Amino acid sequence: MISDTIALSGRSLKKWIRNPFSIIPIAIQALVWLLLFGNSFNPGSALSSSGGSLGILKEAFGGATNYITFLTPGIIGMLALTGMTFLGVDFVIDRLNGYLDMLKTSPIPRASIYFGGVLQNIVKAMAAAGITFVVALVVPNGLRLSSGFGITNLLGVFFAVAMLTTVFSTLFTGISVAAKSTDSFFAVVNFLFFPVAFTSTALFPLSFFPGWLKPVARANPISLASEAARLVIVNGTLSAAQLSSYLGDILGLLVYAIVFTAMGIFLARNSLKAD
Amino acid sequence: MTNSIIQVEKLTKKYGDKTAVDHITFDIGEGELFGFLGPNGAGKTTTIRMLTTITSVTEGKAMVVGYDVSKNPGEVRARIGVVPQQLIADDELTGVENVLLFAKLHHVPSEKARKRASELLELVDLQASAEKKVKTYSGGMKRRLQLAMGLVHDPSILFLDEPSLGLDIQTRAKMWDYVRKLNTENGITVFMTTHYLEEADALCERVAIVDGGTIKVLGSPAELKMRLGGDLLSVQVSEGPDLRGFLESVHDVNEVVKSSSSSYVIKIPRIEKALPQIVDGISQRGLKILDISFTRPTLDQVFLQVTGKQIRDENGPTQAIPLLMEKV
Repeated sequence: MISDTIALSGRSLKKWIRNPFSIIPIAIQALVWLLLFGNSFNPGSALSSSGGSLGILKEAFGGATNYITFLTPGIIGMLALTGMTFLGVDFVIDRLNGYLDMLKTSPIPRASIYFGGVLQNIVKAMAAAGITFVVALVVPNGLRLSSGFGITNLLGVFFAVAMLTTVFSTLFTGISVAAKSTDSFFAVVNFLFFPVAFTSTALFPLSFFPGWLKPVARANPISLASEAARLVIVNGTLSAAQLSSYLGDILGLLVYAIVFTAMGIFLARNSLKAD
Repeated sequence: MTNSIIQVEKLTKKYGDKTAVDHITFDIGEGELFGFLGPNGAGKTTTIRMLTTITSVTEGKAMVVGYDVSKNPGEVRARIGVVPQQLIADDELTGVENVLLFAKLHHVPSEKARKRASELLELVDLQASAEKKVKTYSGGMKRRLQLAMGLVHDPSILFLDEPSLGLDIQTRAKMWDYVRKLNTENGITVFMTTHYLEEADALCERVAIVDGGTIKVLGSPAELKMRLGGDLLSVQVSEGPDLRGFLESVHDVNEVVKSSSSSYVIKIPRIEKALPQIVDGISQRGLKILDISFTRPTLDQVFLQVTGKQIRDENGPTQAIPLLMEKV
């Protein structure tokens, strides 16, 4: 099963790596989002004396010195979401052109077809996250890491990101494996996209949300990953209290991932069985 | 027949009220090259999809390589090779990568897979393009590549769904060579669907003609053609006495039709023996032969007879045949 999963995701990843149009747009998209949201939504720019930094708003923004520092994990999460909606369409195409039928005649577990999709989408989304992180570091007034930020901290940030991409990949691969047409896939994706993207703390801290929306925003997977990643970006090595908050967020993401994986396996078994 | 590799009994597939395949029964022997013929919508692809475990069986039973397709689909999948009619090889991967991917999915050890892939690519004349991306391939090359993809795990039986669909005549003939070679040299049982009747005639040991979800007739192409009454001789002679009595007396002649005052169509299993006798008899009666020709029956005519329709326009029966067909 594991070798089948790797073989199937390898097929897609090989194509993806060879195609320059799969990598370059990620960097451009990251740049546009960071510069556009990073400047237009920057609350610091309303403060006359701050020179673009968050100044007195710093505490409200989790201790980030400037807005892009706060924003970067959020943009990574938003890009993982948009990317996934497009990556998921691969499955629908495979179904339409008969490739899935060919796979159905292979002696591989049906779930490995699903996991092949999950794995390839995680790898692609992680590459996008890495590129976005680097772009955020080099843009003007960009991402400022805590002093003494080391490799462990970097792993801490990307572990949270990996959990988020796993959540999205298990969800959207499940939807795409069940979708019989591109239309039905995009109908579901469009329905999910805006609520998930904009009830998160990707762009603004939780305190900015109205009371009734706060629990939803807090439980949003983009929020969970953003909050966890921000803790590490802003503080470096975490205190015991911060670490437990970080692990709480990761646990939340893990719950999502488990639920979506179970759902994905169910959908894959159903939609890949003999019709 | 040798041991059966496929046994199908009353196999049925219904989609709602529509019956795509209706209680078909047949056996295929090991090493056989079997053709499943029929027009579009006859139930060919549905049958192949049931036998290859893609589609579920509504009623009846199908055993493939000793396993029930409904009860042990995994065992069936491990032993069959499938070449679909759609072009599914991945455009962005190279030919050899496509073959190796299917080797992996069939759990062929990697060293063996490489060896097998290069043998197969050589067999289908793609070794020179093996490292090129499939998007640079022609339609015929893609079909040949899919043949290699379907064979990489050494299946006992190969399912070919419309193997020469969309190929030009030369490429089609080449495809037939590969299939024939696989069957005779490598001993692989082949189950193929096609709507090219001459393809089935050239390749298959036995064919089943399907229409409306049922098997109309099953046998070797030679047998089926023989059932039409064999060869047809058309002869036009100078004006003179009626020759019907004489022609009917010639050994083996089945039927004589006078198509005009001096033209006859003679139905006979094999023309070779009777021809000298007919020619001599005519000249003995003082008549001259103005025109003489004969046609061998084709599967097209068998098809026309059993389904009441022509499978396609080209290569249709000659003028003389419909005349006799009505009487058959």
